[in-house]
Amino acid sequence: MVAPARAASTPGSARRLNQPRSALVEAHVDGSPRLVNRAEVAAVLEEWRVVDRWWTEEPVSRRYFDVVLAGGEHAVVFRDEEVGRWFSQRGT
Amino acid sequence: MIACIVIPGFELRVALQRRPRLRLEPAALAPEPGAEPLLGPVTAAAEAAGVEPGMRLGEALATCPSLQLVDPDPAAAEEAWEGIVRRLEDVGFAVDPAAPGCAYFETSGVERLYGGLEPALKRALRAVGPEWDARAGAAKRRFAALAAANVARSGQALVVSDEHAREFLAPLPTNLLPLQARQQQELAELGITRLGELAGLPGGAVAERLGPDGRRAWSLARGGSSRRVRGRKPPAELFETLEFPEAVGNELTLRRSLGVLLDRLLARPERGGRALRKLALSARLVGGGSWRRTVTLRDATAEPARLRAAIGPKLLDLPAPAVALTLEVLILSESVGSQLELVQPEGAELREHLREGLRQVSAGTGSGSVCTVVEVAPWSRLPEQRALLVPRDD
Repeated sequence: MVAPARAASTPGSARRLNQPRSALVEAHVDGSPRLVNRAEVAAVLEEWRVVDRWWTEEPVSRRYFDVVLAGGEHAVVFRDEEVGRWFSQRGT
Repeated sequence: MIACIVIPGFELRVALQRRPRLRLEPAALAPEPGAEPLLGPVTAAAEAAGVEPGMRLGEALATCPSLQLVDPDPAAAEEAWEGIVRRLEDVGFAVDPAAPGCAYFETSGVERLYGGLEPALKRALRAVGPEWDARAGAAKRRFAALAAANVARSGQALVVSDEHAREFLAPLPTNLLPLQARQQQELAELGITRLGELAGLPGGAVAERLGPDGRRAWSLARGGSSRRVRGRKPPAELFETLEFPEAVGNELTLRRSLGVLLDRLLARPERGGRALRKLALSARLVGGGSWRRTVTLRDATAEPARLRAAIGPKLLDLPAPAVALTLEVLILSESVGSQLELVQPEGAELREHLREGLRQVSAGTGSGSVCTVVEVAPWSRLPEQRALLVPRDD
C-alpha cells in the first residue's frame, strides 16, 4: 500500500522524504510502461520488484521500472500491485 | 497552617481515562516495565476482591483472576498533574508538588483572601476539579496534614489542630509512613500497625532496629517537623515534539530524532542563552501508552554533544516503539554567563554561517520551509521509509 503523498501534517511534525506520487502511465501488454505522464518511453533501463511487509496488514508489492523518456528525461515509476495504480518515485 | 491535597490512586485514574469502562471493574495499575512486579493503585472493585496496592502480581492474579492490568501512562499523568498544580497556583496557592497526586501549600497567605482556613481549602478542592475526588487536610505539620487528607472523604477538608495532632495520628495505620515494603513488613512482624504504637517507642531503639528511615518514620508518627512549605518555581515551559509517520523502535532513529529535538530546543529564543539544568524525555508509545524519564545535569549546559550524551542512554529504556518523542526543559540555569572557549571547535564558524543562511531562507519563505533530512532506516527497500523531513525553525 502507498500512503498519499504529502499526507496531512501538523507544523513541527516530520514527513517522509521521497513519497511516491501518482503518475499517469499507459502500459504495454507485458506490463512495461509505454507512456509516462503523456511522454513516450524511449527505453527501459532496468526493472525490479519489491515485495515487503507481506506479514502485515499493509503488504507492499511493487514492480519498478527505470525508464528514459523521449525527451531524454529520466524517471522511475512503479505499479503498486496491491492497489493496481502507477506511481513515480525519486531516491530509488 | 500547612495544607495537603491528596488524589488517591492518581496514576491509575489517569490511565483509566483511556479505558473508563474499567473504573467499575477489578483493575490495577500494572508495574513499570523492568521494575519489581508489584501492583500500583487498585480500583474499589479490586479492593473488594481482596487485591491491595503493592501486592505481588502473581499473588494478586491468584486472589482475583478477573483482575485487569492497566498500563501506566506517566506522560499523561505528568500533564494532568501539571494542570492541577497550575490551577491551584492560579487561585493563589504557592504549591509544593511532592508527587503526582499529592501537593502541599501554606494557607496563611490566602486565608484572608478566602475568608478563613476552611473556605480556602474548599477553594483549593474546587480548583483541583470534582472529577479527581480530591481531599484536603490541614495541620501545623506536614505529615499530620498528609494524614488528615488521607483520612478525609472525597471533596472533604479535614483540619487537625496542633494540640490534637498526636491523638489524631495515634490510631492511623503505619502504611501512611514513607517506608519501603520490607520495613513496613518488619513493623507488622513486630506487632506495630498503628502510628501511636510506633510513636510510643523510644526513638533510639527504633533507629537501632530500622535505621535512619525508621527513625524518620518514628519522628513523623509523633507529628513530624513543622518546617514551612516552599512553593515551587514555575516550570520553564519549553518543549519540542517530533511526531513520526509510523512507530519507530530502532535506537539509531531515536537518537537522530533526539538530536533534532535538542537542536530545536536550543534554538528557542525563550531560552535566552541560559543553560539547561533538568530535562524530561517522553514518548507516546504505539498502542496508546506513554513513557517518561527525567535527567538532571550536574553542570547546567547548552552544549548539544554533552546533552546528547546525558539524555541518549535513556532511549534504551523505551519499552515499545514510539509514535512521538518530546523533549522538555524543566529547569533552566539562573545565569547566562559561562567560560568562553579560547579556540573555537573546528567548523563552528562554518556552522554558524550555514545557520544564518538557513535563518534568512526561513525568514523569506515562512515557517516550516527549512527542513533537516533525518535518515531513519537507510537500509529499507522502500525509498520513502529511508528518511524523514523534519522542519527546523532556528
